[in-house]
Amino acid sequence: MKSFEFYEPTTLAEASRLFAEAHAQLLAGGTDLVIGMKALTETPESVISLQKIPGLTGITTEADNSISIGAMTKVREVEVSGDIQQHHTALAEGASEIGSIQIRNLATIGGNIAHASPAADTVAGLLVADAQVDIASANGERRVPIDELFTGPGQTVLRPGEIITRFRLPSPASGSHYIKHKIREVMDLAFIGVAAAVNLDNGTITDARIGLAAVAPTPIRATEAENLLNGNAPTPELLEQAGEAAAAGCSPISDLRCSAEHRREMVDVLTRRTLQHALERASA
Amino acid sequence: MSEYTVVGQTVARVDAVEKVTGAAQYGADVHPPGMLYGKIVRSKHAHANIRSIDTSEAEKLPGVRAIITQDDVPSGRRVFATDKVLYLGEPLAAVAATDPDIAEEAAERIKIDYEVLPVVQDVIEAIKPSAPRLHGDDTKDGPNRREISGQIRKLSRDKENDHSDEMSKLEAELEAYPDEVYYNISAESHTEAGDVEKGFAESDVVVEDTYVIPRVHQTYMEPHVSVASADSSGKITVWASTQGPFAIRSGIAGTLGIPLTQINVIGTTMGGGFGGRFGVIITHVPAVLLSQKTGRPVRVQMTREEEFTDGRPAPGCVIKLKTGATNDGRILAREALAFWDSGSVSGASIGSTIRVRGVYKIPNLKVDAYGVHTNKSGTAAYRAPGAPQAIFAGESQLDEIAERIGMDPVKFRLMNMREEGDAVPAGGSEPKVGYKETLEAVADAAGWWDREADENQGWGVAVGDWTNGCGPGGVYVSVHEDGSARIFHGSMDITGTDTAISQIIAEILTVPYESVTIRRGDTDSAPYSTGSGGSVVTFTMGNTAKLAAEDAHQRILELASERLNTNVDDLELRDGAVHIVSAEQPKSISLGELAAYSLSTTGGPIVGKGSFARQASTPALAAQIAKVEVDPGTGRTRVLKLVASQDVGFAINPMAVEGQIEGGTVQGYAWAMMEEMQYGEEGNINPGFVDYRVPTSADLPTVESVIVEVPAPNGPYGAKGVGEPPITPTLATMANAVKDAIGIRVTELPIKPEKVVDALKSNGHGA
Ligand SMILES: Cc1cc2nc3c(=O)[nH]c(=O)nc-3n(C[C@H](O)[C@H](O)[C@H](O)COP(=O)(O)OP(=O)(O)OC[C@H]3O[C@@H](n4cnc5c(N)ncnc54)[C@H](O)[C@@H]3O)c2cc1C
Repeated sequence: MKSFEFYEPTTLAEASRLFAEAHAQLLAGGTDLVIGMKALTETPESVISLQKIPGLTGITTEADNSISIGAMTKVREVEVSGDIQQHHTALAEGASEIGSIQIRNLATIGGNIAHASPAADTVAGLLVADAQVDIASANGERRVPIDELFTGPGQTVLRPGEIITRFRLPSPASGSHYIKHKIREVMDLAFIGVAAAVNLDNGTITDARIGLAAVAPTPIRATEAENLLNGNAPTPELLEQAGEAAAAGCSPISDLRCSAEHRREMVDVLTRRTLQHALERASA
Repeated sequence: MSEYTVVGQTVARVDAVEKVTGAAQYGADVHPPGMLYGKIVRSKHAHANIRSIDTSEAEKLPGVRAIITQDDVPSGRRVFATDKVLYLGEPLAAVAATDPDIAEEAAERIKIDYEVLPVVQDVIEAIKPSAPRLHGDDTKDGPNRREISGQIRKLSRDKENDHSDEMSKLEAELEAYPDEVYYNISAESHTEAGDVEKGFAESDVVVEDTYVIPRVHQTYMEPHVSVASADSSGKITVWASTQGPFAIRSGIAGTLGIPLTQINVIGTTMGGGFGGRFGVIITHVPAVLLSQKTGRPVRVQMTREEEFTDGRPAPGCVIKLKTGATNDGRILAREALAFWDSGSVSGASIGSTIRVRGVYKIPNLKVDAYGVHTNKSGTAAYRAPGAPQAIFAGESQLDEIAERIGMDPVKFRLMNMREEGDAVPAGGSEPKVGYKETLEAVADAAGWWDREADENQGWGVAVGDWTNGCGPGGVYVSVHEDGSARIFHGSMDITGTDTAISQIIAEILTVPYESVTIRRGDTDSAPYSTGSGGSVVTFTMGNTAKLAAEDAHQRILELASERLNTNVDDLELRDGAVHIVSAEQPKSISLGELAAYSLSTTGGPIVGKGSFARQASTPALAAQIAKVEVDPGTGRTRVLKLVASQDVGFAINPMAVEGQIEGGTVQGYAWAMMEEMQYGEEGNINPGFVDYRVPTSADLPTVESVIVEVPAPNGPYGAKGVGEPPITPTLATMANAVKDAIGIRVTELPIKPEKVVDALKSNGHGA
């Protein structure tokens, strides 16, 4: 590890000012950053901890059932939260897929998203929750929809000095589900991740949302597939078409884990399965 | 009731407390005052000529105390590459600095000018005439192309049966250069018995397939580490995490031309070895050289990434196998052609190809095996070296035959198994081994005979054989005035062997297990001991301990006869005291009293000595059954049941034996389903636990172990080595279960989801 300056600011403004400097990195849970620093893929000159800044943790539910999750909330808290489990099941399931309990007790949801890995396990759940990302800096605040946050692997629209403060999950779906394709039962990274969320209105699908991880340079929504579903009654044929449309809409790569073709096929298979689960939950 | 009181019982391991409390001292816990940190400078290319090595920038870095290259090896023996590197990560130099970060930065600053050469990493590519030659003309005496292509052609005649056309393509390419000499062949091994051609001709069914087994790493938890300290007199102390301190001592002495007695190797507690922890050059020699140059102790410790690039993993191989049998289930002939990936140096366990023979009566057998050079690090032993690979091929193919002739796979195996007195291909006759007992035991325990399977579920069976090695060892045992006993020896304990040795001593001295303690010496103090590999320790050191205890027993009776004024023949040691056997009035004297008395005798204290080196070992069999469920949509396989039986001869500590059975079975499962060192353009591309997957406890149900005891004539209490056999059948067990579940025969490991999905698609299934 290269040597670095370590800061523990107590206000967002101070953190933002320090973070705006060149070669600065934020430290949340450190489960991505510290590993990168040890491997010398990250060589920050200053590391700014977010741990002493108040107001960045916790899961709160508004009267309209919309939920707000602080960026510094531990992934484990997201996983076990009754509200998240009930209203955003796919997100709770995604959180439960990260590493081990030890890792989840360190890792934050903000870090999982800001690290911008296309395979991050909470991202598909946030996509199908239609989450909004609250961002703060010394220059003020702004809000970005989650599907506009990412620009490439490891890349986001965050500007120097900008810090994610909260995720806002406006409208809970009545059923959602997340599936991670992996080899090892636990402690594996997603070969692909698929989340689906649906509402049912008199037997007709509304608000279908499908989030895909690790099948494109950024996490994506499968909008073609969503359009096929909305306004229709769920049938095996429809789910099949949705799976095919989701597969057609992604642009996976081949790497040491598996081929692009396998990823595309799994998008097809797992989109159908997640939808099936989400629909069962919605009609329960 | 057992006739024994301590052996055959489950007892807590002697090292349980120090392991559980964290008190055990591993290599990286050793920190002598003034210690420097060593770092090895490694090649960034898999195949390149080295034009120059410039250390000047690194030398300027404050805190750097020494930089060494091959020029600093006085003996001239190869420690670092000089003009050419043959694999990514090959050592070129080493640095010692006051801080690990400085050492790392210095290593980065060393400028190496490479002339990059074409790389070959696949054994089949490597034997093609167009392949880059790793060792130039060095291996000119190797077999010629005509010979190998002839063998490939012969095995490919029945092409319809072979699912892969890889070999026939290779044959065509080799034919184009008929008379050229082979270059990338590192070694060869040939065995022939009977007449395979005749055997195939007489067979009703002949099956042929090509099996591909990947290179896997032993993935012991503790990476290689050594701390070396050279004092001003030239005496060298090495704290080494190794399976064989005595082998390391002679290895360092031989490599560096230092007298044996100038080197003391202290074995530290080891975080696993599995055969991969015998290397001398990997960390020990560089640490010694750096300490000699700086006059300070130096630690050289590998990172996990270095373990993958410059460890010595198990070789992958390609085995073309052909088996012929009659419709009524008799195996008539088997022929194998194997290419083992030995990496940049020779040494892959190619001789293990013979294990395709299994434990069956196969009258006609022909095995041809070649070691092939590729641009990878060399290989080493891994738990029954070479056997899991060969047995994967052999046992997978047996199931294909059983299926074609419509015979139950367990019955088919039972019918063909060798029996006591049968002629053994290597000569002599088959000893009494529980082949059938072990297979029957696992079938009964797993519920094989009335097995049920839902859709996409299947059952697989396989057996694997292995014979423990044997080596030299010495043990002393002393009995103290409080009646306790202390053992002194020099073998490393990885698997609980110190516990087994303690049990044996307690059994013979008739004292409670708790009153026996054991102390391991370093190479300066302990009697010579064999390395802890090849399942030798309980067999060798158990026998040695028995001899030492019997020697002490003799002295105890002598002392008692003096004390009790009785003939030795009238005395018996029992329950920690010597009794007069036929006394009308019972008379006895305790071990403690005898030990106290011994201190004032002419004969002296009770010290038993045992020394042992060679005895014939007896084969052991592991038999396993798995029930799996395959998800045809995603290709993922879930194990529902895994039962493992093993003929262990005699279980000195049943809990420890079960631990070995479970551990070996899980490692075999891992090799079958997920482990694989992957190689890209420039070398290993998954050098870490993110993409080199070892299973966790969540991946498997509890392995049910079944102990079978058919005693080995020369083993202590009949015990056989138990560490290695359990890994040998699992690769095939899993492949056979997957075949049974979804009809897909995977011949190329690991059985990754993608492979299963693709195979289902080409079979017209699909999700
Ligand atoms: C053993 C292990 C297993 C893992 N398994 C998984 C897995 O299965 N699935 C998975 O998705 N991930 C996995 N991870 C990765 C990691 O745990 C997660 O991505 C985690 O959520 C990162 O959060 P953190 O708080 O530790 O981030 P940190 O490492 O502290 O930060 C990561 C990055 O995010 C930036 N950052 C953090 N917080 C903010 C913020 N509020 N605003 C702006 N930028 C910010 C930091 O500057 C840094 O660049 C694993 C990691 C380990 C070590």
